[in-house]
Amino acid sequence: MKVIIQLRSSAAAHEAAMRGVAAPEFFTGLGPTVGGISIDSEFPPVQLEGVQTTSGAGVRSLSQPLSFSLDPAQSTYLVRGSIPDGPSQAAALQTAVSHPDILGVFSDPLIESCIVCPGDPPVGKVGNVAKRLSVSKLAKKKMEGHNVFLAIVDSGINVAHLKGQDRQPKLDALNSWVPSGVGTSPGNHRVSHGTMCAYDAGIAAPKATLLDYALLLSKTPGSTAMAGLLSDAVLAYSRLRTILNGMPANKRAMVISNSWGMFSPSWDFPPGHPGNYGDNPNHPFNLIVASLEAAGADILFAAGNCGRDCSDSRCAFGSAPPICGANSHPAVLSVAGVDIKKFRVGYSSQGPGRLTAQKPDISAYTHFVGSKVYPEDGSTSAACPVAAGVVAAIRSQYPTAKLSPLQLRSLLFKTAEDKGSKGFDYDYGWGILDPGALLSALP
Amino acid sequence: MKTLIVTLRLDPRKATLKQIQAKYGLSSNEVDANYGVVSVNPDEHLYTILVTEGAANRLKGLPDVAGVYSNPRIETFGPPRKR
Repeated sequence: MKVIIQLRSSAAAHEAAMRGVAAPEFFTGLGPTVGGISIDSEFPPVQLEGVQTTSGAGVRSLSQPLSFSLDPAQSTYLVRGSIPDGPSQAAALQTAVSHPDILGVFSDPLIESCIVCPGDPPVGKVGNVAKRLSVSKLAKKKMEGHNVFLAIVDSGINVAHLKGQDRQPKLDALNSWVPSGVGTSPGNHRVSHGTMCAYDAGIAAPKATLLDYALLLSKTPGSTAMAGLLSDAVLAYSRLRTILNGMPANKRAMVISNSWGMFSPSWDFPPGHPGNYGDNPNHPFNLIVASLEAAGADILFAAGNCGRDCSDSRCAFGSAPPICGANSHPAVLSVAGVDIKKFRVGYSSQGPGRLTAQKPDISAYTHFVGSKVYPEDGSTSAACPVAAGVVAAIRSQYPTAKLSPLQLRSLLFKTAEDKGSKGFDYDYGWGILDPGALLSALP
Repeated sequence: MKTLIVTLRLDPRKATLKQIQAKYGLSSNEVDANYGVVSVNPDEHLYTILVTEGAANRLKGLPDVAGVYSNPRIETFGPPRKR
């Protein structure tokens, strides 16, 4: 095991530290082992300033007032070494800390860059995600999405591709929707982003009834392949509300996954303009989102890919908060992205949100090998349907009449695995979605 | 052509495109007929239509016109693109 050894002050240690490079004569003087610890002679000693509390008592907390001194007599010196692993470790450690020149022995854990960025290789596979989501526990409780509508509002689904990935999706083509002018039918669209979202939602909810809302199949001149206009989203949501209102009140269960949004504020009227979308609760799309949630739908939006560490090249928000419009709506679950090692991916957008400050709400898994639509199911685009699948799984046993969308969101927040700062923070929201803990908290 | 979303508060019995066009003098070139009239909030009798920028500017402030709003482009977030 690698360790950091804190040595008492000595003239030799100070001189070696001042040179800032490995000092062979210092290490020779120290000996190859000190108190049973092998010393790394390639690592130069590092001076650690003497520290005192204002009261003179020992340091108990880093929150108390501290003063520091570079006086060599009050300093200590750090070197690197290793102690044996296994049964002899405890005895070696005991010998080391008893040595008169050693003040302490501390772990020297492996640290590595953990920020995943666009273009980075995938981290883990869909099986890892399923394990993290406690999918087998959900299935044992018959929570797999039965009798739940799971709407994928995206660029269309290709059912044949999903079947090729060992999925047996159930698609309700009659209740699905295609914008006018699009030549393909529900379930038969080109394999793209929407198919990835459907696959990822199916990790936790393989038996949900998919609704294919191919909102982002381009029909707008000059737009990219997977773009559309917000007015189409108003139309799509109006249809979804008609379907939801047609369901018996005691059986309503509809989850809506949205992995899209704006990349540039220049596409919108500026904040403060009465026609603005991103900051304006009165925009008709923000109103219809509220209306659909009030009718009993669980609505999830991806937080976006404009994180400060390595944002998507399309992001044009500058220093302004990028989670805007419905992605920051108080009645939706805004989903940030983490990899399966539970680190936030560097491109996941951070709060505060525009419509409501406390965004994103929660984090879910992304950037793993999954649908085979892309090398990895990445972006908060994958995190959103991963979370939507979990919500749909819960809804199999808890329709809206038993647990309102607001109540379910509160339970998701309370049971999330806290990450980042204690409690809510703008990187992870309330933490990482934890269906295992959620199962224990359900009424 | 750039379009804007207009919200209208209407008697549901009069919420057809034909009636709206007649009421506000909108030509068929100014209104997206494929889009039609979409209910935003049935409890509040709130509807939207999609019109050209010029028509939207004419409608501002007229009776039962609740607002004129942006119709921004939206895109899938993924796959993430390298900067």
